[in-house]
Parts: sequence; C-alpha cells; structure tokens
Amino acid sequence: MPQQTSQKIRLSMRQAIALLLPYIKDRVVAQIKSVWLIILYLVFFQTFILKIAIFEASAISIGIGLVVAGLALFMEGLFLGLMRLGSLIGGGLPKRSPMIVVLGFGLVLGFLATLAEPSIQILQMAGKSVKPWEAPLLFLLLNRYSNFLVYAVGAGVGASVCLGMLRFYFSISLKPFIYISVGVLLLLTFWASLDPNLNNIIGLAWDCGGVTTGPVTVPLVLALGIGISRMVGTADSGATGFGVVTLASLLPVASVLGLGMYFSGSVPQPMSEKDFFKADNRSGIEMLFKDREALSGYVLKEAGADGRLSFFEGDSRKITQYIEELAGSRDKSRAVFGDEPYALEKWALTQGTEEQTTVFGDLNNMQKFALTYSEKNTSRIDILVLIKKNSISALKAIGLLTIPLFLVLFLLLRESLPYPDEILLGIFFCILGFATFNMGIELGLDKLGKQVGAKLPSSFKAIELTEENKTINDFDPGLVQTAVSGGGEKHQFFYVKEDGKIITVPYNPDNFDRTMRQYQYTPVKGPLFGSGSAVAGILVVILFAFIMGYGATLAEPALNALGATVEELTAGTFKKSLLMQAVAVGVGAGIAIGVLKIVLSIPLVWILLPSYALLLIITKLSTEEFVNIGWDSAGVTTGPITVPLVLAMGVGLSAQVGVVEGFGILAAASVYPILTVLLLGLYVDRKRHAALVEESSPGDVPGEEKQNEDQ
Amino acid sequence: MKINKPVSLITAYLHRNISKGVIDTLKDVGVQDLYLTSSRSLVIEVKKGIFSILPGSDLAQDPTDTIFFLANPDMEDNLISLILEKGSLHFPGRGSVMVEEILLTEGHELCRENEIKPFHMPAPSFTYPCTGICCIARRGQGNHIARISLDTGICVPSIHFGIGTGVRDKMGILRIAIPAEKEIIHSFTTPYEADSIMDMMIEAGRLDQPGSGFIYSYPVKKGLINMRVARGEQRHPASIEQIISALDHLKGNIEWRQRKPGIEKRSVRQKRYITGLVDMLLLCDDGKGTELIKAAMSAGAGGANITGLRHIRPPDSPLSEIPPARDLCSMVVPEESVEAVSMTLKNAGAFTERCHGQIHLRKIIKAFTYIGK
Repeated sequence: MPQQTSQKIRLSMRQAIALLLPYIKDRVVAQIKSVWLIILYLVFFQTFILKIAIFEASAISIGIGLVVAGLALFMEGLFLGLMRLGSLIGGGLPKRSPMIVVLGFGLVLGFLATLAEPSIQILQMAGKSVKPWEAPLLFLLLNRYSNFLVYAVGAGVGASVCLGMLRFYFSISLKPFIYISVGVLLLLTFWASLDPNLNNIIGLAWDCGGVTTGPVTVPLVLALGIGISRMVGTADSGATGFGVVTLASLLPVASVLGLGMYFSGSVPQPMSEKDFFKADNRSGIEMLFKDREALSGYVLKEAGADGRLSFFEGDSRKITQYIEELAGSRDKSRAVFGDEPYALEKWALTQGTEEQTTVFGDLNNMQKFALTYSEKNTSRIDILVLIKKNSISALKAIGLLTIPLFLVLFLLLRESLPYPDEILLGIFFCILGFATFNMGIELGLDKLGKQVGAKLPSSFKAIELTEENKTINDFDPGLVQTAVSGGGEKHQFFYVKEDGKIITVPYNPDNFDRTMRQYQYTPVKGPLFGSGSAVAGILVVILFAFIMGYGATLAEPALNALGATVEELTAGTFKKSLLMQAVAVGVGAGIAIGVLKIVLSIPLVWILLPSYALLLIITKLSTEEFVNIGWDSAGVTTGPITVPLVLAMGVGLSAQVGVVEGFGILAAASVYPILTVLLLGLYVDRKRHAALVEESSPGDVPGEEKQNEDQ
Repeated sequence: MKINKPVSLITAYLHRNISKGVIDTLKDVGVQDLYLTSSRSLVIEVKKGIFSILPGSDLAQDPTDTIFFLANPDMEDNLISLILEKGSLHFPGRGSVMVEEILLTEGHELCRENEIKPFHMPAPSFTYPCTGICCIARRGQGNHIARISLDTGICVPSIHFGIGTGVRDKMGILRIAIPAEKEIIHSFTTPYEADSIMDMMIEAGRLDQPGSGFIYSYPVKKGLINMRVARGEQRHPASIEQIISALDHLKGNIEWRQRKPGIEKRSVRQKRYITGLVDMLLLCDDGKGTELIKAAMSAGAGGANITGLRHIRPPDSPLSEIPPARDLCSMVVPEESVEAVSMTLKNAGAFTERCHGQIHLRKIIKAFTYIGK
C-alpha cells in the first residue's frame, strides 16, 4: 500500500460540487419518498372524493416544498450531530459520574425536552374549541393553567428518563415496568371516568402522553440510552438501550390525571351555558379565567347570544352600555380583545345586534367598513413573522436540549469532541431544518389538513363551506320564494346567478343584515352519497383516516431515526423499512378507530382499556428485544406531521358532530402500532425458532435455551 | 509493553438463540475476556405459497452473535470442541467456529490472552484448514456481495457493521458527503477456491472502483464452517451438507473438494492483488479508536475500520476496570510499517489506562482494492 501523507486533500470547486450533488440529491429524494404519499393523498381526497377545491393552493405547494427541504436538513442534522452528541454523552457520563448524577441528568433533560418541544402548544390550539361550561376542568388546564399542564407533563417525562436509565444500570427487563405503569394508568383512567369533570380530561391526558416525545427528544433520548446501556449493565446482547421513550409516553398520562385530580375540587361541574353565566354562579367560574377582563372578553367572543344575555343579568341594555364603555376607552378594549386593530368593531359587525353596532357611528361609515371587512378574507401570510416565529421555536427546541449537553460534555466529562465540525454542522442543520419544516407544515400541511378535516364530515352529512362565504349587496327581500316539502314544511329560497349558472340558495332571515342591505350565505356541501346513506359516508371517513395515518407516519422523522437505530443495532437483521411499515399500519388502524370514537361518540375508556389489556397479554408472550422496540415505536409515532393533521381532523369532525372535545384520536393512534410491531415480532421469532429446529436431528433441540428470551 | 507472542484467536459465529449458552460454558472453563458483536447471517430461503408473488429477495437474514477471544494455543482444540459440542455446530445451519494463529504484539497489562487451564474434551469432530475472506463494502452492498458465498455454496456468510476512516478524514467538512458506514462481510472457503471467490466478489461489488471497498484473504488454521446456504424443503433423505460432512470424515481431508467455481463468470481482466500486508487489529476503549487511528495514519496506515464490540467478563474480575464498550480497529498495513505504527500508537497512549489497548496481527494472504493509476 502506498505511503499516505497526513496533509489535507484539497478539492477543486468542481470536484466538491460533484461530491455534494449526489449527497444532497439522495437526502432530498429520501424525504420526497416519505412525504409524497400523504400529500398526494390529501390533495386527491379533497379534490376528487369530496369534490371541493383546495383553498390557497399556492401557499400550500410552497409549504410542502419547505417541508421536504426542512425534513432533509433535519434528518441529516440528527444523524450527523444530535444523535452523535447523545451517544458521546451517554457513553461518557457513566464513566465519570456516579449513578445518581446520571439519573439526575436524565430527570433534568426529560423536563427540558418537554418545555422545548412545541407539541403541547399544538394541543392547546386544539383546545380552543372547548367550552368552559361543558368541560370546566379541561378548559382550565388548556387555558389559564396551561403552564401547570406543561410542568406536569415535564415532570412525567423527566421521571421516565430517570427510570429508564435506572433500568439500564440494573439490566431490568422492560416488561415489569410496562405491566405496572399500564395497570396503574388503566385504574386511574377508569376511576377518572366516574367523575364528569375528570372524564373530560382523559382524552387530553392520554394525548399528552403520546405527543410529548417529539422529533428532537426521541433521537436524543435513544442515542443517550444506547450510549449508557453500552457502558453499564451486564446484558450479554447487543440490542439494548430502548425503553425510555415507552416510559416517557406512559408516565405523563398519570401526572396529567394527577394534576386534574388536584384541581377537580375547585372547578365547577359541567352545566348548561345559561346556568354557567348566571350571576350567582359568578364566583364559581371566575377561577377559570385569568381576570375579569378575560372573562368579559370570553363572554363577548365565544359565548352564544343566550349566554351573553345571562351574563349581563338578562338585560340587553347592560350589554350595550358595556360596549359603549369599551368603545370609549382604548385601553379597556385592548384588555378585553387583545391588540388586534378594530377588534371591537369587527366583533360588533359579526356578533353584535343592530343596536350594538350603531354605537360606533352612523350607518354609512359602518357600511363602508363592512364592505372592506367582508371582502375575501384570505389570511394574510406575513412571511417575516412566520420566519421569525419558527426560527425562535427551532432555536428553543434544539438549543434548550443541546446547550445542557454541551455543558455536561465540557464541564463534567472534560472531553473533546471527535469530529467537532461535523457535530456543530449537524446541530445547525437540525435547527435550520426544524424551522423550515415547521414553517412548511404551517403554510402547507396544516392548512391542507384543516381544510380536509373540516370538509370530511361532508361525506356523511351536510356541512357549510365557510371559506366560500359569499356576500350579496343591495339584497332585495322581495326575491325570496317559498318551496314546500313532502311533509308540508315550507322552505324559503332564492335564485343566485353565479359563474353564469343559476343556483338555488336556502334563505335564512338571520343572514340578512337590514342596515347594510347585505345577505351573507355559505354554500353547503351535502352528504357524499346523498342523504340517508350516512353509513357509507362514515366508512369513507374511516378509510380516509386509516390511509392518512399510514401516510403521515411514514413521513415522521422520529420514526425514521428509530428505524435507522434499530437497523444499526441489529446489524441489519431488522430493516428500517419493515419497522416503519408495521408502525404505519398500526397508526392507521389506531386513527381509524379514534375517528370512529368521535363519530359514534364512544367513550375513550372503552377503546383504551381493552386495547391495552390485549397489549399486555401479547407483551407477556413476546421477546425482550421486540417488547423494547415495539413499545418505543408507539411513543415515536405522533410527531409534527401526524399530530396537526390528526388534530385538525378531530377538531373538524367534532365541531360538526357536536362532541365536547376532539381529543383521544392520538391516544388510540399510539396503542395500535405497538400491537402491530409485537405481532410482527411474534411471527419473526416463530420463524427463527422453526429454522433452528429444522437444522437439528429429530427429537431434540440441543443448545437452545428458553431463558435467552427473557434476559 | 512488547509481547510478540503467538496465540490462538478463536472466533465463533453463532445464531443469537444459542450464543448465550455457549458464552456461559466458555465462562465456566475460564474464558474471562471475551468479545461480542451483533451481526447477521444470510441464507437463501425461497418464498413459499402466496408470499412468492410478493416483491423482495429470497434471502433470509438471521441475527447472529460473533464472539471471539484469545487463548493459549495448547488449549485450542479443547476450546473448539467445547464450542462445537455446546452449540451443536455439527448440525448444519447453527453456526461456524474457527481458530487462527495470530501474533499478540503489544497491550495494556490487563489485555492478554486467556490462560485456560486444561480441561478434558474429546477431540473435535472433523475440522479443516480454510481461508477466510473479509470484504469491506459500502453500506447497502453487503447482501449483494455476500450472495456470492451463497450462490457458490461455500458457506453462510456473516455481516456486521463498521465505520471506515481513511481518505475521507483528510477532506475537511466535505467528508460528510462521503458515507463512512461500512458493511464487513466474512466468508470462509477451502484454500483451493479462495482465489475464484475473491475474483467474483470483486466483480460483484465493483471493488475496482475508487472508494468501493477492500477485500483480503487470510489463513484460518482450522475450523468447522456452516455450509447450510439454503433453507427449505429437502428432496433427499440426506442434505448436501450432511453428505459433504460425511465425505470429509471418510476422506480425512478436504482435498477431494477441489473445484473452480464460477468459471464462466470469470472476468477477462487480470486483477492486481497486493501482497506483503498484515491486518493490525487494535482493541481499545469505546470512542478512542478515532484518535488512535489518526495517529496511526501519520505513521503509514492507510485507514481503518472501526467496529463496536461488547467486552464480556465475569463481574468480579480485575478486567472490570476496562469499560464494557470497546472498539475494534482493523488497519491493513504493509509488513514493514508494523513497527512504526505500533510505536506511534504507543506514544499516543494506546496501551495506557486511557485506552486499554491491545494489538494483534493477522497475516494477509492477498488483498485487493482500487490503488489508482
């Protein structure tokens, strides 16, 4: 072999580009492969099955492009930087520090990871549709005390990382941990289902568990776990280090339920809207809101007309007086409505009565204002705000985790980094990629998901297409005609000429604004298969949910990282693609069942209890290797791509179906992938055993020991 | 300190389900210092029934454990017998075991060969000298190259993962565009076929292209190799492996097995093999491999492959001082550079408490890679 010199090799620009192009291409193509299914599917479904045009299509396309680019950067950054850092710390920490320090580190890291990940915020956004009179405790936890929610979840995750590492030190199997935690959780859940307030937070609690372990936490915790378990413990096999993610998905459920139980004493019981806002109930509901202004603002913005009246002691003049007060004082109005300009005026136009509107001045002014306001209300996408918001969130998510790691590395371990340029570049890629794909999700996938989710119920009932809100100016009520149906009921309608065609629009007197002489109407999209065949429509929804879950899971970065790690640790025996397919099928099934839960209003307990019971049985039968991998895959699935889509769908469905809350789908989506992976594991194990037995002479199976499986 | 002692390197490739039993038995006879790495073995398994229409290869992959340890040469027969007996390796399909003569050159004081006290074992069932072929290829190419062993029927190959260092480390940050992950494929064949098999593997893996990989052959003193290359229904009262095994016993040697496999696949171009090389295997603590190899490269090593190992030892042994996660760095160097590389490694602290290093040398018969114009 020729002697090698140790100087650096310099490459020309052309050579460098020749090297970089296939590298970049490979990674981008890999992400396109994982994302194409879900995107095409959503577009196809809305356009061809539901036959509704996609709104804001150009923004969505750009968003999708950003998602692909962002994912490619993020995945590369994960493998290049973040996971390597995790391995280094995981391998180095047990060497220098006693067990208690390592456990403490795990606790802190788990807590920080929860604060860093944006998943809890997503749940909060989903919680905006929750009404305080229907689910007071849930409303409290999602709004005023949302910080406590985050801390509770953080404590749960911290405890799990700590426990997970303890497991490695003593080489304890994951199975007893699963039996105990799932058992306790099921008991707690069952007990919670008996109290009306706590019953409503079960969905939230289980969803929190599934949502916590996000695309930054999971690979980091995996790499740490593998690093640590290589250094400690006495297991004689190669594939250890899993199991922390499992615990991080289970323990937070208990902490959220615990938090709920702590507060359940001080919240009012669920009741009707009118009773809720009554004056003698005031002290009971005040604790649900930050302060008086917040309460008033809520009443004005979210309460129905009845509730509002009830709040102002049944006297509508009091409402008008209050509006006058607000109109007079900018500060007061800002305290109630926030910083949005003309918020009060907008409110008056959309929700105020005629009398209330005239507080603002004469009719002409208001008409002009109404015209400008009711013009096509595309949400203006402020690019700079978007970039700024996502960059900060990315820096927070990744910085909050890597900075303590670097501190530990340099202060506790005093080790230098091997290939420091790669690691730093990797972390930079992570941050850039995370910001980009979150932007892309907000611009593209989220919007798409919300649209499809809101329109989905049109497959089994008639819904209004609020984006295609139309306003008719100078409306003449004389145009309204009457039709009669078979039962003798009269339905009013009028003709509208639109796009050269004449269509009929049902007439609703409430939509006619006499002062402005405007009629607002929203087109309606009827049940897909015609009224009366809701069952076929529901089947469509379930099929849709399954494929959406399947497609979204394949795109999840954390699952990708887990699959790659499993393939690495098993020296290629268990291929990444096999694991991902198994998990994706499981998530699809879970989401389909979750959707069924919303549509048929099945209590979540009925879905969770039997599923987990079945899981425990199969866990007992499976080998340690597969139990670790299977339960971890569940924690991994619900990530930045699946969660917004599922929540959008859940919110859209529950708003149409009229359910209190749309949580719970994610919880179901977390159970079934475990089942599929464990079943796959049982099958693979059986085949291996059969192969070995085949080789030996008939009658005996020498050398093979059953205790291999339960290490 | 310098040792320069010939010892026996015993390696076993065992199916995951039987490895624990074998390791426990080895511990019982005094093997205190054992290394293990996860690997996979490949067999041909034709899909049956409805699965035959599904896409996908006809290869089945089994998880295996590759274990190896150093021992005093006078006990090598007993140890091989023990492993054969405990793992029932004379039944085809369960694994392979072999012993190589290597030179333990230098090491930390804790890192020595196992001194096994004599224990009684009947003489091993028929073992024979073989040639080992080690091929280092890019990740994703492993199955393609390993298939050659299956298609020619020589053995069940074993594949594990590693990280390659070398030219790419000199390229600054652009090195991220060159993947470092490797698959290391081990196959074993009779000395008569080794050349043809190597040729075929080079063709299959296009190892004559720059950066494609490296392949070399090394002598194995004796071993019993798993030859069950295909699984499935048998159409005869005895399997081909049983027949070969029986004939080996009857003849007392393997010379009757001479043949030239794949003669129609032989390429026209003559390959230029490199001789005069040695495989320096450096065992060190996890994470230290990269820096030690950097030092070695300055003394003439071209690069290395690093594989992660698990060190298995009894809980109360003095070896517990060594961390259980270890790196195996395999450096192929010219014979004349061995001294210089050793000295550089020593100066870099390879044999101190920091790294707990150990070097042993494996002779290379011949090697092939892209060497440039």
